[in-house]
Amino acid sequence: MGIIIRTKHTQPFIPQPDDSMIICRCEEITKGEIRKAVYDGMRTINEVKRYLRAGMGLCQGQTCQRLVLGIIASESQISAGELGHITGRMPVRPATMDYIGKSTEHSEGVERYESK
Amino acid sequence: MKRYEVIIVGAGPSGLSAAIEAAQSGLQVVVFDENGRPGGQLFKQIHKFFGSKEHQAKIRGVRIGENLLAQAKELGVKVILNATVLGIYKNKEVSVLIEKEVQNYKADAVIIATGAAENMIPFEGWTLPGVMGAGAAQTMMNIQGVRPGSKILMVGSGNVGLVVSYQLMQAGCKVEAIIDAAPRIGGYGVHASKVARTGVPFYTSYTVLEAKGNATDGSVSSAVIAKVDERFKPIPGTQIELDVDTICIAVGLSPMSQLADNAGCEMTFAPTKGGNVPVLTQDGETSIKGIFCAGDVGGIEEASSAMIQGKIAATAIAQELGYIDHDTFEEKKSIYADSLLKLRAGMFAPGSKGKVIDKTDEGYTISKSILTHGYLAESELSDFPALDTSGGEHIVIECTQNIPCDPCQSACPQGCIIVGDNITLLPKLSKEKKCTGCGLCVGVCSGQAIFLVNDSYADGYGTVGLPYEFLPYPKAGTIGKALDRSGREICDATVVEVRANKVMDKTAMLVMKVPLAQIGSARFFQPIGLESLEGVS
Repeated sequence: MGIIIRTKHTQPFIPQPDDSMIICRCEEITKGEIRKAVYDGMRTINEVKRYLRAGMGLCQGQTCQRLVLGIIASESQISAGELGHITGRMPVRPATMDYIGKSTEHSEGVERYESK
Repeated sequence: MKRYEVIIVGAGPSGLSAAIEAAQSGLQVVVFDENGRPGGQLFKQIHKFFGSKEHQAKIRGVRIGENLLAQAKELGVKVILNATVLGIYKNKEVSVLIEKEVQNYKADAVIIATGAAENMIPFEGWTLPGVMGAGAAQTMMNIQGVRPGSKILMVGSGNVGLVVSYQLMQAGCKVEAIIDAAPRIGGYGVHASKVARTGVPFYTSYTVLEAKGNATDGSVSSAVIAKVDERFKPIPGTQIELDVDTICIAVGLSPMSQLADNAGCEMTFAPTKGGNVPVLTQDGETSIKGIFCAGDVGGIEEASSAMIQGKIAATAIAQELGYIDHDTFEEKKSIYADSLLKLRAGMFAPGSKGKVIDKTDEGYTISKSILTHGYLAESELSDFPALDTSGGEHIVIECTQNIPCDPCQSACPQGCIIVGDNITLLPKLSKEKKCTGCGLCVGVCSGQAIFLVNDSYADGYGTVGLPYEFLPYPKAGTIGKALDRSGREICDATVVEVRANKVMDKTAMLVMKVPLAQIGSARFFQPIGLESLEGVS
């Protein structure tokens, strides 16, 4: 990713007829909200994610990442390849905190193994 | 913490092939899959695969899946299902959620074979019930045995869109249209043709604008499509409203590469590979030593190449861990690389993506009609090498694009069909050998592109033998209509016989009697009064 230039807008945000269309289904984020986020200065996919929660739901952006990238790219005129990708983190699939909590014992095991 | 020499994530074609290869080399291997059954997408692929014998051509995907599982079982490969890998760390530690508990494993090498997920396109109403991925529709009908809808709009004309459209018809659905925003049909011409000749219209340079919902439950009641210009912008006034209850989206796949990213592998954005993918060596190794990727996760291709990629990764690991020596590795790798090269050739090869190809490798002009309408114009066919104009019973091979496939060559017991070692070349007919009219090639061709024509059946009548995969097979004597390549009714037709045997593997040859003048045009049989066609499964 290169340096992203953010220029303050002198023009007001212009609504579009399809702004109410849902893009991120899990978190119910609309096209208008994403466009507004770009207008507000968000550029990379991870910035938009943190700003709106788009891509933070059940599918972790597997469905909407590409669509959100497309909207950011067309609004900002920056190519999608420059906008990054949603960071892959553990857990990459939804898992309840309860289950992850139960793994504590094992995690300690991992650390012991490492410190050897 | 449990320890394995190799941990494989994903029990699809690539993961299972890798596991088999690794186990054969003596490695201790475990495969995790988040699904309740193994095989990835293979078990819903009820169509015959392409390629050569070494790629398991002419075998249906579901059988390939069964064979892989049987082999894995025989070798004692441990496949743990309902096991979701949550994270992979640099020291090759893997967290897996198994039965409400996160368990940690450690491996000497990891193969990520997580595959890909379907892309969506946003349009007004795309979140309504009845809009789904084409792959989801395929899972519903071929795995769960549920018909996804009755009247379908397919968005996307790549191989997924074409193959799923055909299978939807086999399941008894009516495909109202296949549309594509591109000016050309994206998938194999033979796949398009087998759909087109049943009467499905193709709309190239069209996009879907809106899914309308009905008043009772909001599910899809119609779809509005419109023509697009060169910049893919809808042209006002070109809208068409289609009466459909299901919209299937087949606009490509995105690699599920999150685990590689999570592990810290170097990633790259590669549109030709489907999006965000790990940077891989020839063997499929990521920037982290010992972490490999195989199959669609490293770049979208298809199941046949995914299987070979899995084997290459496993072979590289076997060498690294000292289970095979360098020479054995080089020998195996060169065989697999060669096999992969064969699949990656021709008009639809990964390297040809986005290129406009208008001549075959042999120099024949590629049918424009097939690229826009999905079927060959009769006038274009005469340019191709497999047209036999001799009298009596003979075959017509309507295979006009360079795709990696050669089962027709070995199907003919007489040796009439010649493809040669370069399997992307078009089949030719031998001048010396004589067709006996057995029809095996008709049933064997994965593209359903071979027809057996007889111009001396009876006075004024000839017969056309065509590949047929709709159940129930019509009985001899059934009266119906003959459709031409575009699916238009052209004349009355009577079924003479339906020939099916083990070699043809559920693709029957339906022989119909038509007036002599129509034997060059009649390519499909539509029984009269049959509302829906049930397919082979």
